[in-house]
Amino acid sequence: MGIGGFSLSNLSIEAKVGVFVIIGMIILGYMSMRLGKLGFKMDQGFEVKVYFDSASGLEEDVSVEIAGVEVGRVSKILLEDGKALVILRIDSNVKLRKDVKALIKSRGILGDKYVVLIQGSPAAPLIEPNGRIISTTTATDLESLMNVLGDVAKDISRLTQSFANVMGGEKGEASLRSIIDSMKAVAETLNRTVQENNKGLVKIITNLSEFSATINEISSKINKGEGSIGKLINEEDTVKRLNGTLASLKEITEKINRGEGSLGKLINEEETVENINSTLTSINDYMQKQESFRTYLDYRGEYLFDSEEVKSYLTLRIQPREDKYYLLQIVDDPSGVESETDITTTTNGVTTTEHIEKNEKNKIKFSAQIAKRYYDLGLRGGIFESTGGFAFDYYLFKDRLTLSLEAFDFDSDSNAHLKFKADFTPFKHLYITSGFDDFISDKGNESFFIGAGINFLDDDLKTLLSNLPF
Amino acid sequence: MIRFLEFAGRPLVFFIEECGRIMLLLLSTISWMFRPPFRFRVIFKQMEFVGVNSVGVVLITGAFTGMVLALQTYHGFKMFGGESLVGSTLALAMTRELGPVFTALMVTGRVGSAMAAELGTMKVTEQIDALNTMSVNPIQYLVMPRIIAAILMLPVLTIISDFVGIVGGYFVGVNLLKINSGIFIAKIIDIVDLDDIFNGLIKAAFFGLILSLVGCYKGIYTIGGAEGVGRATTQSVVLSSILIFISDYFLTAVMF
Repeated sequence: MGIGGFSLSNLSIEAKVGVFVIIGMIILGYMSMRLGKLGFKMDQGFEVKVYFDSASGLEEDVSVEIAGVEVGRVSKILLEDGKALVILRIDSNVKLRKDVKALIKSRGILGDKYVVLIQGSPAAPLIEPNGRIISTTTATDLESLMNVLGDVAKDISRLTQSFANVMGGEKGEASLRSIIDSMKAVAETLNRTVQENNKGLVKIITNLSEFSATINEISSKINKGEGSIGKLINEEDTVKRLNGTLASLKEITEKINRGEGSLGKLINEEETVENINSTLTSINDYMQKQESFRTYLDYRGEYLFDSEEVKSYLTLRIQPREDKYYLLQIVDDPSGVESETDITTTTNGVTTTEHIEKNEKNKIKFSAQIAKRYYDLGLRGGIFESTGGFAFDYYLFKDRLTLSLEAFDFDSDSNAHLKFKADFTPFKHLYITSGFDDFISDKGNESFFIGAGINFLDDDLKTLLSNLPF
Repeated sequence: MIRFLEFAGRPLVFFIEECGRIMLLLLSTISWMFRPPFRFRVIFKQMEFVGVNSVGVVLITGAFTGMVLALQTYHGFKMFGGESLVGSTLALAMTRELGPVFTALMVTGRVGSAMAAELGTMKVTEQIDALNTMSVNPIQYLVMPRIIAAILMLPVLTIISDFVGIVGGYFVGVNLLKINSGIFIAKIIDIVDLDDIFNGLIKAAFFGLILSLVGCYKGIYTIGGAEGVGRATTQSVVLSSILIFISDYFLTAVMF
């Protein structure tokens, strides 16, 4: 194989395969970067709720935009009290005000729906995570607009029809002409009347002018305090009394403000406010805990090829948060539990030490671990099969494939127990597993294994556990 | 009556036996994978044969698939002014279906047939029996490296085919049909998910397993001299292609 004079035939096989694989990886990397939605992102940002009258056409994971810029995605669409509850996941660097408006818009000729947020005034307080956007509008879609337009067109056509009926034909034209003629006659009569009564009109206007002068006189009299009405308004005494009433009212509100008296105390005491506040917070915390809490039950069996036996695990996974869980496990290990004891006996001054190694076949082992997840890497630590240890988990393909490396049983007299496994979940609750158990064993326990398991969310256990005091 | 049942039942029994033999071959390959000696050199040699040497074929099929797809979808989308969707349709089709399937079919023709012919010739010339007498397990020495190489190399070939297909479609769409290049790429980025690519690669790995397993199986069970080798080669290509299409449907149903 020669390209442009270069000969590839003297490259080693490994180099050829290596170059080939690297080219493939570079292309995959380039395409992944361009697509931009790298799968490594754990759920970030915060959620807000919106209630729409109708979320028709809206899909999960469509974009949420402010001023045409994507600031988040629709994370869930649920039905609540006959309304559509849409949960939006907004990037954490975006600040939403309380008076933000949400509406569903459609894009393009195919009418893909997406959510638009219209920012409110900068003075309004921020929406806290899990808060609610109150103001919503459902944008008129093309279909309902067409319906309204159709109705309008029908009305207009009915109107023009009746007009045509009235005005149409010679008869209509004649009546129109007679209307115009009579209007002309009315105008002429009006003109004549005004001219004939010119004198009377001038008299009326003079009278009106005299009347207004009299009113002017009366009001100036009141102003000076003359007459009974004038007295009432201008008396100093009245003003003083009114002033006193206002003063005592002011005193009362000031007292309340300072926290005097029982009403004032209730309103002004810091402690009361704090008490109410902390109560609300703890209720909120409790509710959230219960909501995000998950417990999983898991059973798995692994068939060990070398010993031709099945190792079973029953696991309870308690997951209070998405990136953290606790694990309790019972393991039935066919290779048994090994124990060593030294028995020292002294008979007649002679000390003999007996070393006993036992292997109990039917003993059950326990595991208790804590686990934390950083993006696609999980760390686990704790008790593994009744000995101390730690483990790494790597999650791939939306958690459908998990690669795990466990290391435990760090005895001084034998190699540590290392276990590599790959769990693949093709369907929801079922998974298959395969790997290499104890592969640096110096006791000949190393074995390839293959197995399967079931895994499901247990809501009953969850209710039980979240009601325990933690 | 009994003769009729025999006549009708023989192909059925043969079919069931064949399924069983393929599964047994797969299981023993898996179990031999984890036993020493590990002959990495042999695996690399197969990887070169399956992967590196197939690049030319895959480049040409991938590029022209993408180009013809762009040409065809363009005329459809033009009817309602949706030319901007050509890029995303093309990219989705390439990454999800056409990339993995066409690559697998080309590799079946090039590599699966060669596997059947090579192993078949070794079988009829009793070289496989010779390996056995030298206490070299033929499954570990001949079958396992081919299957591993095919499983590893098919996804790499597929990603190359995906890329070349999209580039070919871009060339036709932007340079010949005058679709706006910015919209062409933006729509691809908008609609294609990383999962589409990854699921396509998982498919490709499955197809690699199928074509190498069938090729090796047909080779190892060859009987009847040169004529038998020819028959085994043809059968391996036909069976692999059929199984690739059937499994493609079920993999798609499970994945998307």
